[in-house]
Amino acid sequence: MMPRAKLKAQKVEAAGALLAGRELPAGGAWITKARTAAAARVASMGLPSKRDEYWRYTDPRRLTAPAPEAAKLHVTDDEAPLFDGFDRLKLVFVDGVFDAQASDALALPGVEICTLADAARTDLHWARDLFGALEARGQAPVERSLASLNTAHATEGLLIRITATPPKPIALVYRRANLAGDAMVHHVIRVEGGAEATILENGPMAARFNQVTEVDIADGATLHHIRAQGRDHERAGITHLFAKLGAGAQLKSFTLSANGALVRNEAVIWLDGAEGSAHIAGATVGDGAFHHDDTVFVTHGAPRCESRQVFKKVLRHGAVGVFQGKILVDQIAQLTDGYQISQSLLLDEDAQFLAKPELEIYADDVKCSHGSTSGEIDHNQLFYLRARGVPEDRAKMLLVLAFLSEALEEIADPAYADDLRDRLESWFKRRS
Amino acid sequence: MAALDEVQLREGVDRETVETVQSMAGTYKHGWETEIEMEFAPKGLNEDIVRLISEKNKEPEWLLEWRLDAYRRWLSMESPDWAMLNIPEIDYQEQYYYAKPKSMAEKPKSLDDVDPKLLETYAKLGIPLKEQMLLAGVEGADEPRKVAVDAVFDSVSLGTTFQKELAAAGVIFCSISEAVQKHPELVKKYLGSVVPQNDNYFAALNSAVFSDGSFVYIPAGTRCPMELSTYFRINAENTGQFERTLIVAEKGSYVSYLEGCTAPKRDTNQLHAAVVEIVILEDAEVKYSTVQNWFPGDENGKGGIYNFVTKRADCREARAKVMWTQVETGSAITWKYPSCILRGDEAQGEFYSIAIANNWQQADTGTKMVHLGKNTRSRIVSKGISAGHAQNTYRGLVSMHPKASNSRNYTQCDSLLIGDKCGAHTVPYIEVRNASSRVEHEATTSKVDDDQLFYCRSRGMDEEEAVALVVNGFCKEVLQELPMEFAMEAQALVAISLEGSVG
Amino acid sequence: MLQINNLHCELEDDSEVKILKGLSLTINAGEVHAIMGPNGSGKSTLSYVLSGRDGYTVTDGSATLEGADLLEMEPEERAAAGLFLAFQYPVEIPGVGNMTFLRTAVNAQRKARGEEELSAGDFLKLVRAKAKELQIDADMLKRPVNVGFSGGEKKRNEILQMAMLEPKMCILDETDSGLDVDAMKLVSDGVNALRDAGRSFLVITHYQRLLNHIKPDVVHIMSEGRIIKTGGPELALEVEENGYADLLAEAAA
Repeated sequence: MMPRAKLKAQKVEAAGALLAGRELPAGGAWITKARTAAAARVASMGLPSKRDEYWRYTDPRRLTAPAPEAAKLHVTDDEAPLFDGFDRLKLVFVDGVFDAQASDALALPGVEICTLADAARTDLHWARDLFGALEARGQAPVERSLASLNTAHATEGLLIRITATPPKPIALVYRRANLAGDAMVHHVIRVEGGAEATILENGPMAARFNQVTEVDIADGATLHHIRAQGRDHERAGITHLFAKLGAGAQLKSFTLSANGALVRNEAVIWLDGAEGSAHIAGATVGDGAFHHDDTVFVTHGAPRCESRQVFKKVLRHGAVGVFQGKILVDQIAQLTDGYQISQSLLLDEDAQFLAKPELEIYADDVKCSHGSTSGEIDHNQLFYLRARGVPEDRAKMLLVLAFLSEALEEIADPAYADDLRDRLESWFKRRS
Repeated sequence: MAALDEVQLREGVDRETVETVQSMAGTYKHGWETEIEMEFAPKGLNEDIVRLISEKNKEPEWLLEWRLDAYRRWLSMESPDWAMLNIPEIDYQEQYYYAKPKSMAEKPKSLDDVDPKLLETYAKLGIPLKEQMLLAGVEGADEPRKVAVDAVFDSVSLGTTFQKELAAAGVIFCSISEAVQKHPELVKKYLGSVVPQNDNYFAALNSAVFSDGSFVYIPAGTRCPMELSTYFRINAENTGQFERTLIVAEKGSYVSYLEGCTAPKRDTNQLHAAVVEIVILEDAEVKYSTVQNWFPGDENGKGGIYNFVTKRADCREARAKVMWTQVETGSAITWKYPSCILRGDEAQGEFYSIAIANNWQQADTGTKMVHLGKNTRSRIVSKGISAGHAQNTYRGLVSMHPKASNSRNYTQCDSLLIGDKCGAHTVPYIEVRNASSRVEHEATTSKVDDDQLFYCRSRGMDEEEAVALVVNGFCKEVLQELPMEFAMEAQALVAISLEGSVG
Repeated sequence: MLQINNLHCELEDDSEVKILKGLSLTINAGEVHAIMGPNGSGKSTLSYVLSGRDGYTVTDGSATLEGADLLEMEPEERAAAGLFLAFQYPVEIPGVGNMTFLRTAVNAQRKARGEEELSAGDFLKLVRAKAKELQIDADMLKRPVNVGFSGGEKKRNEILQMAMLEPKMCILDETDSGLDVDAMKLVSDGVNALRDAGRSFLVITHYQRLLNHIKPDVVHIMSEGRIIKTGGPELALEVEENGYADLLAEAAA
């Protein structure tokens, strides 16, 4: 065992080495202040290490290495990109850089959008109270220094303010051109009181990426977030979703992940107002040398809130699935309803599931539960289907999709869920 | 060693206990101190102290070296910080590592030679357990089951009852210091084979300075003719207790082992760092039950025992089985994870736990189920109750190794909160590295059900009685796994521990 | 239709446990046979071995459906060949809608037999008509397979599947267990409606009462893994009257 002081020194030293000679990006007063503070956080926390309890099951070295490893672009088959059939405001990033040419005009009723690059040039911006602020708040009780690194150095992203319910969803579409791109993208989304919006995200961002999305959902507002990660199977990336919810606010965030050499999706949610509701869900399919980590931290900081964490993973051929989830209930958060389930289906002997589902509760009048299971396909169910004439492969696929469906059901609009379900089905068909 | 005069002692206990129970009013039952002249080793910890302890126990050279090795490793280690415990800085140089009643300087030839004050202490502690049955109105209490008792007072074992009967069955049950003298080959073979010296900070400390504890050896094919029991008592002030227990169950044997712990009320904190190692061979079964009632500190959080315990059972061969049952109501701080290494194919591990934390107590306790063999099974049932300003954490590991095919684990982990100043936490680690194994973990946290409380109170119970009844119901799954006498003591303890937690 | 000859089987995990010990049985097209017998006689095992469930090893004998070797086939091939087992304890499948399940099964079987798949519209029409006969409401069709169904609902769902899949050889494994009188009537009517010259039934039951509703042509008494007596419907009444003891003693003599 390495002494704690020595480990800390190593982490700080690694951060110093990574950032040596790297200037903060130039910008206006508000963003420079945020970036400087974030850089100081990185310097004092250091980079994450495999020895950190919070990185117990995922080795962060591919994320912290000076340069990314190249990741082949998946040859796109004849399948149309996800969500193509929906009427949406399409905003395109190529290797993590906003591509105005490929994107729709930054105009949608009820929505103010501007790029981080443009906003950074101004001296004052509405996002100044949010940019880096939620990320900074998310550094306790657990350090997430890669998010601070992003705040300090990201120059790309979108600042989206939703003042009234827009007529269509806002779709962030990621594309790749470079074999060894290293992207840092930082979005800020504010949903004003009473508004309701849908943000879609899909496509390969870069060979390596570090994404931060800071979300502020005002009283009575609702945000739907539906994200799909796939196609480039050798990618390494970390995403951070920091979201705070006001009274009666709602967040529904769903992520579909297919493969990836190392993907960690962190969600840090604060239920700050009474009667807020946060549902964080994920469906993961891994086939091969794949490591997927969902790390979720939900804090109930106000009474009568509800939260759900629903994570399902189907793994085979050496795929590793990780779930770290926490429900923290503050003393004032009476009448909390917290639920958390993490389940994995291991399709062969090489797959692994590593989970740490936690409850930390300081209020007494609460209803909190969590469950976690791991196992293979239920033989009785499989036999029942086969006895009705369904061939074994098809029966297995039905059971796998059924297993994932509890997570997909967290998507409010079934049209998106169906699109994702079809995608999953053809994914399995291709691979069976 | 002559058998303890059973009848006389028991009569004394009955009277005493009835009085004690009658006078109990939300206070710690075992909080008195026995005034006995003690012989202390000098305060502080260094190699000379380790040598002194070894010398006092007349230990062979290899054991002294083993202790010194542990001590040197301990020096380079750090106190663990991962538990959800707020542990004040402990000055290890301010502790006594060896304390022994002066009257024991010459080892007594029989219990008749033991200082009567010591025997009185044990009488007060409720040994044997018959009075629990009498109080509870159990039929047939006049003929209680035989329970062999080994009592450890501060650092020294006082003597073991029923030696003759046990010897006839081939069972060895004695203090570990006696075992070092009489059965050195067994001690040398197994000591540290389950919990190595450098396993963790507190195990290393224990390995360096353990002064006594119990040793149990059950020969092949033997069902131990009675339950074995050890009572631990910390009496002297500023004294750490570091007992070491070693249990070896040979092929096809069975033993049920009970352990009880108490300490006097003191304003200062006392350190307890014990190690229990259990080796279980083919088809053997060991049941290990603990009622831990160390002084928890007063209602303002002053005083109490710091309880840092490493307990581990190694199911080394096929179909070996271990069952841990614990009722943890005492200690200011509890850091304890009785574990099962399921090495043999079809080995089984079970862990049943009730942990109650009231006032300013902090508990971080749970288990580890390490599945290495094929078709291994484990089951965890944990009931945590938090009241007052207490923090109570379940921490557990279920690990299915790649070769542990077709293994199963089921974990049920429930927490109950009484009042809004306490905390209840659940920190499970689930690591599944093969597909044919099935792991299920369920956990719930809730408060005491108002409807149940109201129902009880409308039938005439006061609030505390109602809470005790409901909490006992909540714990029932675990209580029923305890040997009968212990179950009654535990039930009463549940009620006592929660006194003052409502209203 | 179904020809079983000298069938022997044992548990896959424990070859010491022999369950079927030379069972022979012939069921012709259009016939309804009943197998009765005390608990542990191997009745349910017979249904599992015929439908291809894991856990049993056939050590001797044969079983053919219209001349085709059942024992060589995968479970789904047996189903496509026309064998249907109505389970004693139908399994719950959360996440799989009852309609999806039925449609997948119907079309998989049609495909295996080289038939056109049913269109969504035709399928829906058919399933609604059949469901109505069995008093299965739309809600039950929407819910996941057997999840939260009562005992009676599960059995009715089994018969609905039978009606949709139109098998040739139906095995009903203790279909009466857990049913009240009304549910039994409903299930029996469903089965009787499916009786025709080209379809055979093997009704496995412990009690005679189901046979009041589903009238058998032939009754077999099974004990210790073998048929020990075969007769007409009167044999079932004899069991009802006197229990199995006399028959077993007779067979042992």
